[in-house]
Amino acid sequence: MNLLKKTRKFLKTYLPFTRAGIQMATAYRSNFIAWFAGELMYCFVMYYVWRAVFNSSGSGTFSGFTLIDMTVFLFATAITNNITGSDGSYDVGEEIKDGNIAMRLIKPVSFNSTFLFTELGWKILSASLLFVPIMTGIEVYKYFACGKIMFNAAAFALYLLSLLLSYLFSFYMNLCFGFMAFFLKNLWGFNMLKTSILKFLSGAVIPLAFMPAALQKTLEWLPFASLSYTPVMIYMNKYTGAETVLRLGMQTVWVIFFYLLSRIILSAAMRHVTVQGG
Amino acid sequence: MKLKEILKETRRAFRLFRIFAAQHLKKLMEYKIDFVTGAFAFLIEQVVNLAFLAVIFGGVESLKGWDYYEILFIYGFSLFPKGLDHLFCDNLWNVSYWMMRKGEFDKYLTRPINPLLTVTVEVFQVDALGELIVGVALMIYSLRHIDLPFVWYDIPVALVTILFGMLIYTSIKIIFTSIAFWTKRSGHLLEMAYSMNSFSKYPTGIYSRTVRNFVTYVVPYAFTAYFPASYLLRHTNPFFSIFGTVIAGCVLMTISLLIWHKGLSVYESAGS
Repeated sequence: MNLLKKTRKFLKTYLPFTRAGIQMATAYRSNFIAWFAGELMYCFVMYYVWRAVFNSSGSGTFSGFTLIDMTVFLFATAITNNITGSDGSYDVGEEIKDGNIAMRLIKPVSFNSTFLFTELGWKILSASLLFVPIMTGIEVYKYFACGKIMFNAAAFALYLLSLLLSYLFSFYMNLCFGFMAFFLKNLWGFNMLKTSILKFLSGAVIPLAFMPAALQKTLEWLPFASLSYTPVMIYMNKYTGAETVLRLGMQTVWVIFFYLLSRIILSAAMRHVTVQGG
Repeated sequence: MKLKEILKETRRAFRLFRIFAAQHLKKLMEYKIDFVTGAFAFLIEQVVNLAFLAVIFGGVESLKGWDYYEILFIYGFSLFPKGLDHLFCDNLWNVSYWMMRKGEFDKYLTRPINPLLTVTVEVFQVDALGELIVGVALMIYSLRHIDLPFVWYDIPVALVTILFGMLIYTSIKIIFTSIAFWTKRSGHLLEMAYSMNSFSKYPTGIYSRTVRNFVTYVVPYAFTAYFPASYLLRHTNPFFSIFGTVIAGCVLMTISLLIWHKGLSVYESAGS
């Protein structure tokens, strides 16, 4: 009973942030649709490159991937990255830089959760405008490429679970990164650097399966594969049952780790915070 | 008389560019670390893309008849027009994303200098050095493994095609920025048009016919890298590769200037 009351109060406090997020996202929808269209363009280029590779190599598989696998991988990775991507580090960095953070800190709500719930609003909109059509597109492609329905409900359900964990990990990790602005004041360059390094570490450009064995092992144990590689592999049914459980477990551990880390950094930073401007 | 005026204008443009670039560099020095990490980020991105090529060529000898080093050469070449446009004309992004909407574009209209010229010279985007450095490195590295049918006039051909390749990039950016004269914001459309440049780095032979025609004749990114680079590598199709690049650059630049001026004439400020 008490828990129910608490949950109600929690939702009453934070759902307005989600609503605001949806409204903001609606205003900027042409922006993020166009942004994603650019990502799709890249997928198409990569598709043609892989097609040429498969044609000239003469063998049907390449590190365990067929051309159909590769195509699914490219588009599923693009949409997964879109959903798990978090602008937390940028938003926090900007607020620290322009001093708006003060307005957020004086309110009786959790600093981290307000960001989380606002961004969830964005995610709800981009899921309905991008995720659903792209996923449908991928399934239709698989149907025509394989000649039968390939949809695997269990794999898809596990994928959604993994996607949620990926997003939470991405959110808290980006938040920790954004807190660096307390000390550095300007994060633009570091954000660019982070994006390009994560692209590599997450296996979005080169699937981890194509990397040298030692590097692949290392990257699989690092948390960053969680950003797109782990969920996509689960979606594509490339993991055995035990492996899937292990990966989901690791994702959970990393979410908890970065959640705690973000709280520790925030409370440490609060003792040093200086607001510039305002 | 006419020629003299043009020369005078050009000299003036160069002088302006020097002044603005110096101004911009001072701004960058304020956030030194930020600027270095920014350029470093562009460099890393290129390195990751190259690692991808290395993985692909671990499995195959050639891509539609082009071997690893030739693909690297084409890739390296593509970074020159792209990087130069990035270096000199990056401010168009700001105009298309928010300057028109916030009414900040007005400041260009109050100055006794051509607005388009001011927009481009105002920002000297040093991050582009990341791309240009990788471009140079790739050229040097790949050429050590390629038997180039080199003749002396390949050097002016390379310079001219890089210049006109850059014009293709800049023109496309001007066209899509100009849309903001009517709609106040066109950054997202520019984003879409610009991102098609990924098609330029690979031999057009790998694409389907429709895509190939599209990147050759509609949004001619193929002329910013593949065609001129393939001429330099094999001396095939000289007429089409060289003049195609020049013509594509000229035609697009003309179209973009017409649209820009049309837009400028209907522009109404949005600011308060």
